[in-house]
Amino acid sequence: MTNTEPLLEVDNLQVHFKLHGGLLGRHQATVRAVDGVSFRVDQGETLGVVGESGCGKSTTGLAVLRMIDPSAGSIRLNGDDITLYKGRQLRRIRRRLQMVYQDPFGALDPRMRVLDIVGEPLLVHKLTSDRHAYRKRVLELLDLVGLNPKMAERYPHEFSGGQRQRIGIARALAAEPELIICDEPVSALDVSIQAQIINLLEDLQSELGLTYLFIAHDLAVVRHICDRIMVMYLGQVVETASRDTLYDQPMHPYTQALLSAIPVPDPRAETAREVDPSLQGEVPSPVNPPSGCPFHPRCRHAHDACRETKPPLRELQSGHAVACHLYDPAASEVNAPWPVARPA
Amino acid sequence: MNTDASGQGAASVAGHVADADQPVTGEAPRTLLQVRNLRTIFRHDHGSLTAVDGVSFDVRRGETLAIVGESGSGKSITAMSLLRLIPSPPGEIVDGEVEFDGRDLLELSDEEIRQIRGNEIAMIFQEPMTSLNPVLNIARQIGEPMEIHSRRDRDSIWKRCVDLLRQVRIPDPERRLKAYPHQFSGGMRQRAMIAMGLACEPKLIIADEPTTALDVTVQAQILELLKDLTRDHHSSMILITHDLGVVARYADRINVMYAGRIVERGTSDEIFNHPRHPYTLGLMESVPRLNDSDGTRLRPIPGQPPDLSNLPRGCPFHPRCRFAMDKCREAEPPLEQLSEEHWKACWVDLDDKH
Repeated sequence: MTNTEPLLEVDNLQVHFKLHGGLLGRHQATVRAVDGVSFRVDQGETLGVVGESGCGKSTTGLAVLRMIDPSAGSIRLNGDDITLYKGRQLRRIRRRLQMVYQDPFGALDPRMRVLDIVGEPLLVHKLTSDRHAYRKRVLELLDLVGLNPKMAERYPHEFSGGQRQRIGIARALAAEPELIICDEPVSALDVSIQAQIINLLEDLQSELGLTYLFIAHDLAVVRHICDRIMVMYLGQVVETASRDTLYDQPMHPYTQALLSAIPVPDPRAETAREVDPSLQGEVPSPVNPPSGCPFHPRCRHAHDACRETKPPLRELQSGHAVACHLYDPAASEVNAPWPVARPA
Repeated sequence: MNTDASGQGAASVAGHVADADQPVTGEAPRTLLQVRNLRTIFRHDHGSLTAVDGVSFDVRRGETLAIVGESGSGKSITAMSLLRLIPSPPGEIVDGEVEFDGRDLLELSDEEIRQIRGNEIAMIFQEPMTSLNPVLNIARQIGEPMEIHSRRDRDSIWKRCVDLLRQVRIPDPERRLKAYPHQFSGGMRQRAMIAMGLACEPKLIIADEPTTALDVTVQAQILELLKDLTRDHHSSMILITHDLGVVARYADRINVMYAGRIVERGTSDEIFNHPRHPYTLGLMESVPRLNDSDGTRLRPIPGQPPDLSNLPRGCPFHPRCRFAMDKCREAEPPLEQLSEEHWKACWVDLDDKH
């Protein structure tokens, strides 16, 4: 993690969807699904992206994969600006970026054998010379993800959810990607199976030196697997920090509320835990986002500035950035209702 | 065939043991619902599978009882069997008693059970999107149970609907009642479902994964609301979930289910702090905790969830159990009482192993 060059560098990414309606299909509104997101992922690390539905975390993942065209901003992979890649160039970088999907039932073609599901990327990217090498490589991959290579001739419906997720991971690994985007990879699985897949992802990372962009809403899972975490709200990054800093010293009121909302599996801790009562209501529609700070209608610390101007993401301590007016260094006094280490 | 035979054995054992769990209090029984030896099967082309296999438990007045389990554990089928909501065919309740407030729900006529559904026992489902009728406005849907079960006139039903929406904290209730489900967000739909469930002040609410489809901040709001409302109305609740955090916060007692059986039962405190069944222990060890320190490795339960059409001999959990002994492969353990509130179905003494 001492590499100076980030593997992935995203700068001011915007993804806007136009909504059409009416008789002539005229442009009615614009959804700002991702609205100015910047981050970097270093070689070998896991960056977690958390937030509630509609915060733009999956859209960010799809834009990085170039499955959705960004409206603005840039995406650099190992220094190459891939934002505008098309055709053959795009196919070539797709080998370096792979995805593990949430739904292990929908993600696999039911009419293909496991052998062909896992092997398809080898053919698409012409990574194998003959049938024999192809088969050998697929069996190796199955073994790597903990599946019996004898299962290669079977079809997806013969597998349980956890096994299908392993097949999906084997397919993602086939092209030897540099970055794997995991979009809610365990949320559709049973609790006892989730841990198997989390351990597998961790083992693969240390064996193969993989880099993950890990998108999830389960904060306990994210804490377990990620090195750094980025919290999104309504298409924007509200806080980024290293794993421990984010959980031990959350600064953005949204991060604090999110952490206070999660029940932990311990009845004694739960009896003592207070749910932050300030967090009422739901995430507003991204079609018509609030003015100023996107979180202000639900924030108990909101003041005039929050309604008027959008707070920029500011780095307050090394590696810990927050987009919140409470920590505005230009303000004459610290508005924060809790002690804050001011930037030097 | 094999599963049926072993299921039969388990059922009779569980039924026998459960008799010891009868309440001993005097005139006002503290037990609201008493389930004994419930068996629900699903028939298919090649035979049948037993989704609920001899389950016995009580729900006390005013308590929240959680049923915890993974897919295929039979937790939802158990709940649906109580209200006889199992689609038949292919499903069939083949054995058992469900005594609710002095009546056996399994013996009632179709008309009589309809009088109980939505009136004395309400059910809140996981999917607020599919459980609401898209072509009826919210007022019609919340008012429906009252139209069926009470003799209120339209005005008083409307007033009650406004009051209910207020109770579930939907702002501007008069206007919202005229809206249709698609105009509501996910959290609002779930609130409307809860309002519907509460309309007739049920004695028992069955909440089947009530917040699984919702975001965590909304989940916290909905669950706190359910807790307050059941407390205010002195209702009992059966909370079905796979989320151990939710259980830790809201349940008084817990039934842990695996492969259609209750494998452990106890107070929330005992189940979390002193689990005695290896499956319960495995669940506790396999969830990441927010306070995990760096580098803690999760300890997953090996293997795959049970296949009900092909259960092993003996204890259904033994192929995934790290403590399994020869006996576990041969005979199924009965649910036996360890202390006043703690029961387990396992041959292994976990205290010896620690």
